[in-house]
Amino acid sequence: MLKVKGVTKTYGTIVALTDVSFEVEKGNFVFVTGPSGSGKTTLLRLILKDITPNKGKIILDGKDIGNLKRKEIPAYRQEIGMVFQDFRILPERTVRENIEVALAIIKAPSDEWNKRVNEVLEVVGLGDRKDLFPSQLSGGEIQRVSLARALVVEPKIILADEPTGNLDWETAEGIMELFEKINKKGKTVIVATHHELIVEKHGGKLNRKVVKLTKPKKRKVETKEKEIKNKS
Amino acid sequence: MSSIQVKTAFSSIRRSPFQAAAAIFVLTITFFIVTMLATLVYSSDRVLKHFETRPQIIAFLEDDISAKDVSVLQVKLGNDERIKNVVYISKDEALVIYKEATVDNPLLSELVSPSSFPASLEFSLADLIYAEEIIDELGNEEIVNEVGFTANIGGRAELKDAVSRLRTITKYFRIGGAIFVGALMFTSFLVLLIIIGMRLTSRRQEVEILDLIGATGAFIRAPIVLEAVIYALVGVFLGWLLALILVLYSTPSVIVYFGNISVLPRDTLELLTFFGILLGIQIIIGILLAVSGSSLAVARARKTK
Repeated sequence: MLKVKGVTKTYGTIVALTDVSFEVEKGNFVFVTGPSGSGKTTLLRLILKDITPNKGKIILDGKDIGNLKRKEIPAYRQEIGMVFQDFRILPERTVRENIEVALAIIKAPSDEWNKRVNEVLEVVGLGDRKDLFPSQLSGGEIQRVSLARALVVEPKIILADEPTGNLDWETAEGIMELFEKINKKGKTVIVATHHELIVEKHGGKLNRKVVKLTKPKKRKVETKEKEIKNKS
Repeated sequence: MSSIQVKTAFSSIRRSPFQAAAAIFVLTITFFIVTMLATLVYSSDRVLKHFETRPQIIAFLEDDISAKDVSVLQVKLGNDERIKNVVYISKDEALVIYKEATVDNPLLSELVSPSSFPASLEFSLADLIYAEEIIDELGNEEIVNEVGFTANIGGRAELKDAVSRLRTITKYFRIGGAIFVGALMFTSFLVLLIIIGMRLTSRRQEVEILDLIGATGAFIRAPIVLEAVIYALVGVFLGWLLALILVLYSTPSVIVYFGNISVLPRDTLELLTFFGILLGIQIIIGILLAVSGSSLAVARARKTK
């Protein structure tokens, strides 16, 4: 489904990623791990086509995203559900409106909005919070809104950049359980995290894959891909 | 455009009422002046037309000529494209006109009889440039005794001078008005650009988020453009309404002041039609101004992201 082939990305003289390659099958749950500065966020931004690689290819469903024209990028991004570490929720809109924005972007029929918003809010456990503003929610709840917004467009793949980075352990666990629940429904999920405990706890299950990035040494980076087999 | 985008535009106006007021105020002034200048240009055109179309040339006829000869000349003049509104004034009619003109001094009327006045053919010109050649041509007609201009305007030079002055004034008035309106439009454009730019700065995070979750440029632009269009439409309407009220208020005085020169339509329906057309044109200009200003502001904001 997703192929990352020999991707290298530099910011001026700073090397963020060197020759990273891995593949993701439909329904996989992939952890991208590594210390801060190892290029996890850069990798997700490359997949989202927020930035372009200096070398290598990223192929989603047989389509090389490097060949996408500027005007094709929005449609491509609509196929990806993105969850950000800093939530990136619209602060002046209610929970419901934040999710409706995503539906408006994909031009979903407006008579379906109510049903689809209620469904995803039930999935993330915020059914009773839909008319509240982000300032009235906790960090964990805001992250759930972000996840609901990503889910409502029924994306091919969900990318989560440090979704638990700003949350305490208990709340982080709740978010990870949500990702597992979504993955069990067949959705492909890629989570970037530096949280070893989370990877240890959730990375060893069926269909899980861990892509471990190491911090680049000057201008060179080592990339290690490790697939954890089902132990049972 | 989805309801979310419309809602965004209105909530954006609500959240920054002073910016909205500034934009609307500038646009109102601009379109008020545009409406007033358009009305003045229209009125000056009507004044010019009045002088251009009133009887300008009088061909005084010989005393002993037949009605047939007069008729032949009248038809000939009527068929000439350079000439308009040919009217035959008999000796009796000339006397009546004279008596009306000297009604304040009956002594003058008593001293004259129809035989004192020659019959004449009066007409106006399609354009004053034909004046000299037509006067020369008429001078060669056997039944024409003398050719002159309308008495109350004066001689040939004076008439040409008065109308050409009027034309020059109208021309400079139009050029000056166009420059002034252009400057005001440009100011409005800049004000819209600045206000929308300020909006975008405060909404930069929102624009970035929308961009990342797959919003197209048009989706991001729509509420911002709509906001600018709302400013423009309100500004156009208020400016136009103020001008209309002012014109309606001053119309009776203007009509009295200019007498038989119809500087404004005297029929209410005609006046309202004129203002309706002005409103339509200004709405189109306002929308173009708003769409171009806000699109440019959005393009700049996305470019500097």
